[in-house]
Amino acid sequence: MMNKGKALSLMLAATLSVSALTACGGNNNKNGAASPAASGSAAASGSADSGAKDTITALLPPVSPTYQDNFDQMEKDFNAKYPNLTLKIEPASWEDMTQKLDTQVNAGSPPDIAFIGSDGISKYVQQGMALDLTDVATPEMTGDYDATPLEYMKNGTGLYGFPAYMEVHALGGNKEFLEAAGIDWKNVQKNGWTYDVFRDAIKKGVVKNGEATSRYGFVFATAGVASKDYLGIMAKSAGMPAAFNKDLKYAYTSKNYLELLTDLRQMIDDGSMPKELSSVDAGKRWNMFLTGQTMITGKGLATFENSAKKNNAKIDAKDGSAVKDSIKVDYIVLPVPTFAGAEPVSSTVVDGYVAFRGKKEPTAEHKANIAKAAYFLSSGKVAATTNNDLFAAHITKSGREAAASMTIDRNPDNVAAVETMLSHAAPARPDIPADLGAKAIKIENEVIVPKMQALLAGEIKPQDMYDAVKKAAIDAFGQDGIVQD
Amino acid sequence: MAQSAQPVKKRKIKGDGAWGYAFIAVALIVYALFTAYPVFSAFIISFQEYKPLGSTYIGFDNYTATFKDDLFWKSIKNTLVYTVLTVPVALLLSFLVAIMILPLRKKLQTVFKAVYYLPVVASGVALSLVWLWIFDPMPGGIFNQFIGWFGAHNQNWLGSSATAMFSLVIMAWLSSHGASIIIYLAALLGIDDSYYEAADLDGASFLQKLWHIVIPSLKPTTLFLLVTAIIGSFQVFQNAYLMTGGGPDHATTMVGLLIFDNAFKYFEFGKAAAQSLILALIIALVSLFQFKFLGKDVDY
Repeated sequence: MMNKGKALSLMLAATLSVSALTACGGNNNKNGAASPAASGSAAASGSADSGAKDTITALLPPVSPTYQDNFDQMEKDFNAKYPNLTLKIEPASWEDMTQKLDTQVNAGSPPDIAFIGSDGISKYVQQGMALDLTDVATPEMTGDYDATPLEYMKNGTGLYGFPAYMEVHALGGNKEFLEAAGIDWKNVQKNGWTYDVFRDAIKKGVVKNGEATSRYGFVFATAGVASKDYLGIMAKSAGMPAAFNKDLKYAYTSKNYLELLTDLRQMIDDGSMPKELSSVDAGKRWNMFLTGQTMITGKGLATFENSAKKNNAKIDAKDGSAVKDSIKVDYIVLPVPTFAGAEPVSSTVVDGYVAFRGKKEPTAEHKANIAKAAYFLSSGKVAATTNNDLFAAHITKSGREAAASMTIDRNPDNVAAVETMLSHAAPARPDIPADLGAKAIKIENEVIVPKMQALLAGEIKPQDMYDAVKKAAIDAFGQDGIVQD
Repeated sequence: MAQSAQPVKKRKIKGDGAWGYAFIAVALIVYALFTAYPVFSAFIISFQEYKPLGSTYIGFDNYTATFKDDLFWKSIKNTLVYTVLTVPVALLLSFLVAIMILPLRKKLQTVFKAVYYLPVVASGVALSLVWLWIFDPMPGGIFNQFIGWFGAHNQNWLGSSATAMFSLVIMAWLSSHGASIIIYLAALLGIDDSYYEAADLDGASFLQKLWHIVIPSLKPTTLFLLVTAIIGSFQVFQNAYLMTGGGPDHATTMVGLLIFDNAFKYFEFGKAAAQSLILALIIALVSLFQFKFLGKDVDY
């Protein structure tokens, strides 16, 4: 006869074991309305006839400040439009988005749709886990998008999702400081500037307080998540719009690359940028901009105008949540300078809704439903609301129509400047094969970013970095696979 | 033949013995699922080019690539430097704090134990934000203000190869001693008072008692803490990942971070698995060495 104490202990032990097992297998919900991790394979295996019930799962980060608040409404609106379909959204933070998605992808059970940058598509294509929507994307869908951002969602001949927005990487200036330094910012917005003009301008923006610098001419975030931005953005306007030229030769072995590295170091040596630049992350440089410690900041996105305006309003209202020691700032969008006599090419970020497959091949019907959901999220009212929230330009006809009735308080000069920059945006490069792209990403992570940190910290010379990149490029692509000019 | 044909006597599991097996089954299942199976799986993957839709067997290629990889050896060197700089000092600090807490009243002891243990339960990400603030490279940063009082110029703590590793070491020195302090305190309380009384009768000083009674009595505890601290230090990942990302110029790339990058940045799970197993082997050898040479006269 089992005594009560032993029975209770055994029950608790059994519960613990079952809990552990549940944690392992909790995603296999049979009703199809499970987490994104579950549904890929569940939906894929389902035999969905036309009009049959289906669930599409999406893993979505907080794309804009109010984006995740609208999830319930988005699910309802999608279901109202397609009564047989259910859109199941799993929210994720920006911090854990990539890791969450990568874990699910490598376990073979990703969500049907995930919101990621278009530059991430190639690695999932290489794994065979990105889903080509070419045959299920209708002409009505593809015809709604501007051509350039749609191209960014392609790899080779495949279309792996739909773009949500196309933002230009710019610089941001403090209007008062720019004018005090005698910079004709309106002219710069229209006609751009060369490195030499830019260098002189940021020198004029420096304010010294004794030996110490109380304001820098230019501060660009280079640490943490921004570690790839600085060089990547500047290289576009130095005659290297992509890591590979049109002949698919690795471009960062060009002489222009060495000249660019020399120029970037020179701005620190001039004292126009802080010598601690290698440790300045995105938050720090924005704080420096709002507290008047820099005249120009980078990278700049259109939405920063909104952030600056909100902080100005808080200062006016004497709201304690305004950034400590901040001053009122009129945010001016400025283009990136051109280097080595190259033409201006704007770095853009195209993020969007990328489609994935599970271990099992999805049915044609499920693929079509994924396309419907990706299109729904990236166009019309959803896109209009999100992009307005971000101050981002609309890239769909339906989005523009839906946004027509929405008001937005933007500086018209900034709107025009962004449009000018978008007119010479770096073209998409779906022709770069996934394996070449993967090698270039590895060189970027293992050589370029670490060497750039050392260059900014003054530990190596531009030539040292250039040599290291060239050596890695030759190892990866061979002598014939790189640009030698 | 006749002898071998004798029936084997079956051992019956009944009574309390059966209950014992039932209860250890819980730990065994959890161990099998979350430790043994992943290790076995990693061993298999280390011989594959891993792809979710079907992996390919590639023999020892992942191991060969690892041994040829300069970055792997650099990460091993960085990890060794970090371990040598952090573990002894961290143990010494824990020991000293435990010695200082010991004479206090019980309530005050509890307060100090809680205070020192707090960083262990706090979120590593939250703590790293505080440390990023402390290591702010601009003149307003806490450490820069501190060294400024002594006339030193501000340092780019995390952004310079000269100071990045040292910054991570300072982090290790000044945090996460909670568990070691509590273990040392428990061991200190376990030393029989008669030893101290005898030493008092002989007129022994505080330092003499420390040297002849406390340190020998704590040798098993010290060995345990040393082995576990070195294992933990070899596996260090979080601080480098959150504070420096391995930079600048790989000055703080630890082997744990390299394994993570290979797995989750480049999806080279086979190479990451091979590197994990090599790391496990290194840790096992170091632990074996410690037990063999430092644990000779340790009684448990």
